[in-house]
Amino acid sequence: MEWVEIMETVGIWVAALLTLCIYSFLYRDNPFYRFAEHLFVGISVGYFTVLTIHQGLIPFAWDPLAAAFKEKEWVGLVRFIPIGIGLLFFARLAPTHAWLIRYPIAILIGVGSGLAIPNVMRADIFRQIHGTLTPFAELHASGWALGPFQIFGIILMLVGVISTLTYFFFSVEHRGVVGGVSKVGIVFLMIGFGSAFGNTVMGRVSLLIQRVDFLLADWLHLI
Amino acid sequence: MRRQVPLVLCFAFGIVMALTEFSPHQWSKWINEEVIDWALVIGPFALVIAIATLVQTHWTRIRRRTEHWQYSYLVFGGMIIMLLIGIPTFLNKIPFLSKIGLSFGQKSPIFVWLFNHVQVPMDATMFSLLAFFIASAAYRAFRARTLEATLLLGAALIVMIGNVPIGDFIWNAVMPFGENLPSDARQWILDNPNLSARRGIILGISLGVISQSIRIILGIERSYLGGVEGE
Repeated sequence: MEWVEIMETVGIWVAALLTLCIYSFLYRDNPFYRFAEHLFVGISVGYFTVLTIHQGLIPFAWDPLAAAFKEKEWVGLVRFIPIGIGLLFFARLAPTHAWLIRYPIAILIGVGSGLAIPNVMRADIFRQIHGTLTPFAELHASGWALGPFQIFGIILMLVGVISTLTYFFFSVEHRGVVGGVSKVGIVFLMIGFGSAFGNTVMGRVSLLIQRVDFLLADWLHLI
Repeated sequence: MRRQVPLVLCFAFGIVMALTEFSPHQWSKWINEEVIDWALVIGPFALVIAIATLVQTHWTRIRRRTEHWQYSYLVFGGMIIMLLIGIPTFLNKIPFLSKIGLSFGQKSPIFVWLFNHVQVPMDATMFSLLAFFIASAAYRAFRARTLEATLLLGAALIVMIGNVPIGDFIWNAVMPFGENLPSDARQWILDNPNLSARRGIILGISLGVISQSIRIILGIERSYLGGVEGE
């Protein structure tokens, strides 16, 4: 047996036993579950730390600095500034200087907020409005030649978006027309939440089926 | 110094990022990309604090011998193994280690093996556990007492039944009309009332994000600074 095949077989056994350890929680909290749970936390933290270092610090901090010294691309030395700012996070460990942590936090929040304004406008607001209104232009261009069911869908979409937004509009008291429209919004919201719930359940059930399939097919070779 | 400088920094970086996004000038693009790279350098340092907190929590559990303290060693064990194999790529240059088949870094076979056979199965199993808890919670909480609750329940049932082939199979076997109606009804719900509600929610959230971002940049919202005023 090849070394790779042995490791693959061991891997399937490890994965199967850890899967059973986690499912044992369905009976009640027990040492097997706690074993898997704590191992999962440790492995996950280690994995994401490695990923952050290899995909964040090394390409954006280490490589430009290395290029600055090796290939004399001196502009890379600018990266000492964000490294210095990042190191201020360690001030959190010294209570008398803990306030210094506000500097990197303020910069990260400033960058995030500055990026959010144009990007959210472009990716969410304009695209959603575009998606809601474009069908009307298509309807007009086709000379109202679409089927009644499609026309109903286009109008329903606009009514749903406006009524949902009205429900979340708290600057006006929800009475009269506004109250009626917001009630229609609740209907759409409930259908939306129901669909989201149904999709979530089915997503989790798919994962369950996948794990059971792994146990029965890959591990026990029963199917 | 303790509050004013962070506010000025937040304002400066926020304004620069918002304005440079709109300008096609090459300097503007360079500044925009450079600041994003800065954020990508600064961000990972926050992870160090998160790890320090995790280590501190579990170290305290071990030191005080609190309930189930032995399991904290597993957290350290898992973390240290991943870090030892994943980080020191410079060790790949040592001929002896390469000769005995040991390699380091995120593409190391041991690292990939641990990811594929430990991390991924446990992640999927943890999430699949939720199927049981969601089903049990739904059984206890879902009651069609009002119109809203009925709509929620009905939409969820149609989406669930329409999602699985057996839904259409049973319908086609029992009903003489409307072939594949469950999956068609599911698709219609997802594409129409569900999408319109989601669009309304996304638009609301987006407007909230923009207004909050403006408040943060202008220094009106300062809760991220923590502490008390004047500190």
